Amino acid sequence: MNKTVCLLPVIAALAAVFYGCSSASLASFDRAKDISVVSREDGSGTRIAFIGIFGIEAKSADGGRKDMSTKEAIIKKDTGVLMAAIAGNKYSIGYISLGALNDTIKAVQIEGASASAANIKNGSYPAARPFYIATKADASRLANDFISFILSLDGQAVVAKYYVDVDGSALAYSGGKASGKIVVGGSSSVSPVMEKLKEAYIKINPGATIEIQQSDSSSGLKGTIDGNFDIGMASREFKDSEKEKLIATLIAVDGIAIIVHKDNPVSSLTKEQVNAIYTGRISKWSCIHQ
Amino acid sequence: MKLKNKFYERIMAMLCWSAALSSVLALLFIVGFILVKGLPHIKPSLFSAAYSSDNVSLMPALVSTIIMTFMSILLAVPLGMFAAIYLVEYAGRGTLRANKSVMLIRITAETLSGIPSIVYGLFGLLFFVSFLDWKFSMLAGAFTLAIMILPLIMRSSEEALLAVPDMYREGAFGLGAGKLRTVFRIVLPSAMPGILAGIILATGRIVGETAALVYTAGTVAQIPKNPMQSARTLSVHMYALSGEGLHVNEGYATAVVLLVMVIILNIASAKSAKKLAGGA
Amino acid sequence: MTSIKEKVMSRVFLLSALSTVLALALICLFLFINGIPAMAKIGAFSFMLGKEWSPSDTPPLFGILPMIAGSLYVTAGAIIIGVPIGILTAVFLSKSCPKKLYKFIKPGMDLLAGIPSVVLGFFGMAVIVPVFGESILSASIVLGIMILPTVTGISESAIRAVPQNYYEGAVALGAGHYRAVFKVILPAANSGVLAAVILGVGRAIGETMAVIMIAGNQARMPVSLFKGVRTLTANIALEMGYAAELHREALIATALVLFVFILVINLGFAALKKRIK
Repeated sequence: MNKTVCLLPVIAALAAVFYGCSSASLASFDRAKDISVVSREDGSGTRIAFIGIFGIEAKSADGGRKDMSTKEAIIKKDTGVLMAAIAGNKYSIGYISLGALNDTIKAVQIEGASASAANIKNGSYPAARPFYIATKADASRLANDFISFILSLDGQAVVAKYYVDVDGSALAYSGGKASGKIVVGGSSSVSPVMEKLKEAYIKINPGATIEIQQSDSSSGLKGTIDGNFDIGMASREFKDSEKEKLIATLIAVDGIAIIVHKDNPVSSLTKEQVNAIYTGRISKWSCIHQ
Repeated sequence: MKLKNKFYERIMAMLCWSAALSSVLALLFIVGFILVKGLPHIKPSLFSAAYSSDNVSLMPALVSTIIMTFMSILLAVPLGMFAAIYLVEYAGRGTLRANKSVMLIRITAETLSGIPSIVYGLFGLLFFVSFLDWKFSMLAGAFTLAIMILPLIMRSSEEALLAVPDMYREGAFGLGAGKLRTVFRIVLPSAMPGILAGIILATGRIVGETAALVYTAGTVAQIPKNPMQSARTLSVHMYALSGEGLHVNEGYATAVVLLVMVIILNIASAKSAKKLAGGA
Repeated sequence: MTSIKEKVMSRVFLLSALSTVLALALICLFLFINGIPAMAKIGAFSFMLGKEWSPSDTPPLFGILPMIAGSLYVTAGAIIIGVPIGILTAVFLSKSCPKKLYKFIKPGMDLLAGIPSVVLGFFGMAVIVPVFGESILSASIVLGIMILPTVTGISESAIRAVPQNYYEGAVALGAGHYRAVFKVILPAANSGVLAAVILGVGRAIGETMAVIMIAGNQARMPVSLFKGVRTLTANIALEMGYAAELHREALIATALVLFVFILVINLGFAALKKRIK
């Protein structure tokens, strides 16, 4: 009896907590709320491309460069985790690779152009970045054959399903059919399309083994220089030190989509507004005039 | 005074009951959450032999988890067991110097068990992957994990050996058996359930490990053909799926499989512990 | 013949035991070799006390004070949440739990201890973050849950190890059940309870994957319970993949700082244990 009496208030309190949560989430979009800015970690290829395109950096005369992103930005390590964070927070904003877009979140228009492969090709969508692969001069026969497949009509057809294709050899893949094993490593933005390319290639050339190590642009290029990877993947331009040792091949062009929660009424931003949000000059959704 | 006493008892009873209740609620909530989110997505296709980006099968990760567990256990158990034999059967009862070495070993083992897994991962990256040039491989992962679970194996083996009554040893000596024979034929067999419980606990740690493996065994979703290849365990698989963001449902399904593994390991551990209690 | 075998095997046993010493020495060696040069280049003072971490700027800034503070805040939060509940649960399990209930709760706590941290991170991301945001509070709650079974398990066995006649004596002197437990038994079990807390601290400060998912990871000094922080572990795991050259070394130096923290906690604990004995 005694114990039951003790339990009752606890249960009541818990019930109140659960009830409170569920009723709060029913509320509609409140523009007076702070913008919850979500960004990627320092060094991520997507972040480097993003701050470059939207000018979220300050350059000084003596060659210095400072990332001006607001320190209040929540940092997410991967595209997927970032998307989950945006989907779970009504007042958040983030950026991802165009190829990763899905219907759990909403991409906003930039300068009036929606984020699509067609708009990147015709130049109206301003946020685009290259996908490169890197090899050393003495790459194996299999590595070269795989690259020729990626640049062929067949390979670029795979690319075009998710990203913007590039003008490769414009010929169908003829097939060197090299066998053996290669390791492809680097950018986690490039690796999803690389998986698809690998699967398409293995179908034609079952004698080959291709291992994909997903990490990031810098370690992909470094790994290729060091010989850990046969092919490196990068989602940014090469630094001078990297250009000296590696051959860069453009395999696709990706867009950077600015994403918000699906319930967010904002559907279009200017480059200047994105810059203001990420440098912390705008902190509330009510400051975004449509 | 009496009233005050009664009040104190009431308050404390309520505190204890509500603390226990919230512990249980936390558990039920977490388990329930995983089951609700994951069970609907458990499909036969998740257990197909090959991983592809369309069908993110967890089979390769499941197989890799089992292989990784075996490799680490194989490395750590003889070392940990022998170390415990040294501590219990050979040192400790001897000279001052022996006592000092015992203390050194105890302190290092305790320190090792406190090191965070991310530091183990970094060490594995620096030593096994880069310095020994094993690249991202099962072997590098297994060695890193073996060091991580070594103190646990050592500790549980030590406790199991200590629990063996001295009578057993004296009896064996009395019958003319040598020390080594006594240890291997008499002491170890009766300590086996306790050692086994430690091994099962260590298996649980291996199954749940992520941070130490990402930097040593890599993240390739394949069934490794040899120990020098990279592979991902289930926990790493789940982590990678959450990173890609394309297969969150499969991530929850993986969580269900992990949960089932943990439950099985817990039951096995309880069984062997019971055997120990019954045997000794 | 037998004596040779005996001798050889006793050496093998000793060497096995020394393997822990070797492992620890290697870990120290590699962390120090790779971490100290970076600290020297950055300056130990501006590394440990610098408030700004912006590794990809030119010139870069490597200050880890925000991360040290972040780790301390989150660990303290986990202790505040996990320890009282853990100890009270231990008291409940050992002193007031009906046998029938115990059969369910005990394996339940073991199960909670075995849930992989990635799974707890997923749970935190989906359930706790929507309520409290990516914040110190969310991270503290998840870490509190994580250390709960550790604290409970070790405290429970410490309480059970206190001789029954302590309790009987207190009751005979007129103390109620709970007064006897809290005023006599719990103080008698204090070194075991302390061990439980220390282990909990170690686990909370070293946790990585779950924290990354829920703590927000902002590399600036903590501002509020409801705002995020970045811990030392998160700093390493977030950027290790990308880092090259000095940045990479600075992350290894971060691990070194974490490692030294853990060492200090362990040694402090060992000393404390000695004093209590």
